Amino acid sequence: MIIAILSIIVSFLLDVFLSNITSYSLNSPSWFSTIYTIVILFLLFPYFNNQKKYIIILIITALFFDIVYTSTFLLNVVIFIVLYFIVKRLNFWLPNNLLIANVTSLIVIFAYHIISFITLNIVNYNDYSISLLINILIHSIIATIIYTTIMYFILKKLYSFFKIKQIK
Amino acid sequence: MKIRNKKISPRYIVLAIIILLVVVLIIFSKTLKEDRNLNTVESLIKDTVTFGEKIILTPFNYIGSLIDDFKNLKDVREENDNLKTSIERIEAIETENIELRREIEALKKELNIDYVLTDYEKLNATVLSRNIGYWYNTITIDKGSYNGVEKDMVVVNSTGLIGKVIKTTTFTADVRLITTSDTNNKISVSISNGENKLNGLIKSYNYDENKLEVEGISNTEEVNVGDKVYTSGLGGVFPSGILIGTVDSITTDEYDLAKLIKVTPSTDFDDINYVTILKRKDKTE
Repeated sequence: MIIAILSIIVSFLLDVFLSNITSYSLNSPSWFSTIYTIVILFLLFPYFNNQKKYIIILIITALFFDIVYTSTFLLNVVIFIVLYFIVKRLNFWLPNNLLIANVTSLIVIFAYHIISFITLNIVNYNDYSISLLINILIHSIIATIIYTTIMYFILKKLYSFFKIKQIK
Repeated sequence: MKIRNKKISPRYIVLAIIILLVVVLIIFSKTLKEDRNLNTVESLIKDTVTFGEKIILTPFNYIGSLIDDFKNLKDVREENDNLKTSIERIEAIETENIELRREIEALKKELNIDYVLTDYEKLNATVLSRNIGYWYNTITIDKGSYNGVEKDMVVVNSTGLIGKVIKTTTFTADVRLITTSDTNNKISVSISNGENKLNGLIKSYNYDENKLEVEGISNTEEVNVGDKVYTSGLGGVFPSGILIGTVDSITTDEYDLAKLIKVTPSTDFDDINYVTILKRKDKTE
């Protein structure tokens, strides 16, 4: 549990740190920008046997994301819960290995951007074009794959070092 | 009495999902509004987490700034020479400033203008994070209501206009960038080519071309590529005279009806680290 919480905190901080050194702007996103908190949150999913604990962690992280980063109210909580159901389905169908972890991370990041895009356009928050969405999705690929791969091995090593199979 | 376990029809499930979606969207349409103030709990959490982040990230930011300083070292001699020349001119500039201030006061009285750029107190702030979550086009700065920052205050940097404060907590503030296609908050601008001054409105931001689109200028023949675009001061939020960018091209809108002026922003929005908040001075001061 401590490993899971620590890795979420590190990713949460990484989001702030990297937003100050790489471009996070809508029009010219960097090739090394993704949402690290989301990547780690769903990478940790297979390590949780206790779904209740996982959902609590997910909701708390989403609430913090809402308040600290986007200044929105419950928007990210709703999106994270939708993503949870997607990941739950994927984990039910697919085995847990590096390739699947990368595919899942990409699906989650893409889904996050697509849901945000649709919601913000519907509620007239802003007028975003499809080309902008595609641009952001393309620019998220490299960082998502790199971070997923690194964290996949780190988590695997840590959990095997501490002889933890799953969080109960 | 026996309770029969009835299977819910898929039709009702779909209906329930649709109703839930509509309810969620209605809630979001209210909560995503710019005028929503953060409540005490949100404000407290944001301040605490931001403070923690600031402490943890200080060594990393320090190393980053050291690297930047090292890169800038080679330009120091040149900068030093320039500064020496500038110092020699300070006295002359100060005398000129006094005269200009007097002229501004006289013109303000004559034109009935309440506030110009010199009526604003400047408060410097550091950018804590930039647009995490991508879609909100905001930056978070390390000054909040404790420092006197209020909603709708204008934020600039050395190169021009950045945006305005949309939310504040005690020690932080969210700034919405002008590179936002926000039809509800159009910025009034004036284009100056030295002789003429034409007023228009920023219609939107073209993300594909990285250009601001200005509409409402009737006589576009008087506008030239390279003309400077400033805030006009009309509308009450942005004071006049803040540089926004330069005219890049003059085209027509998608219906070929109105003239559209594309403006290249003077600020590099990918590289904002320090900003200045313009606080309106109290008239009684």
